[in-house]
Amino acid sequence: MKLTRTPARQAPETIIALIDVVFFLLVFFMLIGRMDATAPFEVTPPMARTGADMPAGGITLSVGETGEMAVDGAPTADPLTALLDGLAQNSETLVRINAHHAAELRHILPLIAELEAAGAKDVALVVTPASP
Amino acid sequence: MTDVPPLTLKRPRPARALISLVAMIDVLLILLVFFMVTSTYLDLNMIPAVSQNNDTNTTVTTTQDTTPPILIRIGADGAPVIRGKVIALADLDTLLRDRLASSPTLPVMILPTGVARTQALVSVMDTATRAGVRNVRVIRLEARQ
Repeated sequence: MKLTRTPARQAPETIIALIDVVFFLLVFFMLIGRMDATAPFEVTPPMARTGADMPAGGITLSVGETGEMAVDGAPTADPLTALLDGLAQNSETLVRINAHHAAELRHILPLIAELEAAGAKDVALVVTPASP
Repeated sequence: MTDVPPLTLKRPRPARALISLVAMIDVLLILLVFFMVTSTYLDLNMIPAVSQNNDTNTTVTTTQDTTPPILIRIGADGAPVIRGKVIALADLDTLLRDRLASSPTLPVMILPTGVARTQALVSVMDTATRAGVRNVRVIRLEARQ
């Protein structure tokens, strides 16, 4: 009598590799993504070649082309109060001024002076790196 | 006849199911789509406008006393003006490098008009920094009270 070995059942396609890939993509997007509040209006920062890397965190003041302002994404007519409230909790807080490149300086410079007078330690202008 | 017990066939107990991975994959995919959609890829840098954390300002202040500062005005059209003359950014770079060669601690003061654009101020600051100026201040006029 001849016994035939039953053919081994074909292994199902493993989904472990799929899970690995998805997990790597997930970690990648978590690390590279920024969750900052965006301005409710269009802001295109000025270009500069000598900008430094911008650390995360802090308060972001957005200034639109016509002078409209928003603090951490919330439009406000009195940004100084919101900024000073944030600085009152921690004077070391970085204040980032994300101004449109065509915004007039009369909207920005008085605010910087007020922040400096109020004891702000770090105020930075957000720029877009230009190719050298 | 001998009393033979009836033959009983036992169904093998089914293998215990593993924890289902389908739910985890669903969650992972939802998280992945969320982060893909909410991520922004703007490459942003910064130029310090106020920096009071380092103590080097005091040393710079003491060394700059002997060097007269250079004042750069920025007009409404965004062009830098030195001593009443409009100067191109390339010429400003050359001028600053020449002045820095003789006085490395040259302070630069920038006085922009209020209607100048942000890009004009950043361009002048950028030019000064690239020329090697380490002491750049932005000043503004205030009405006397």
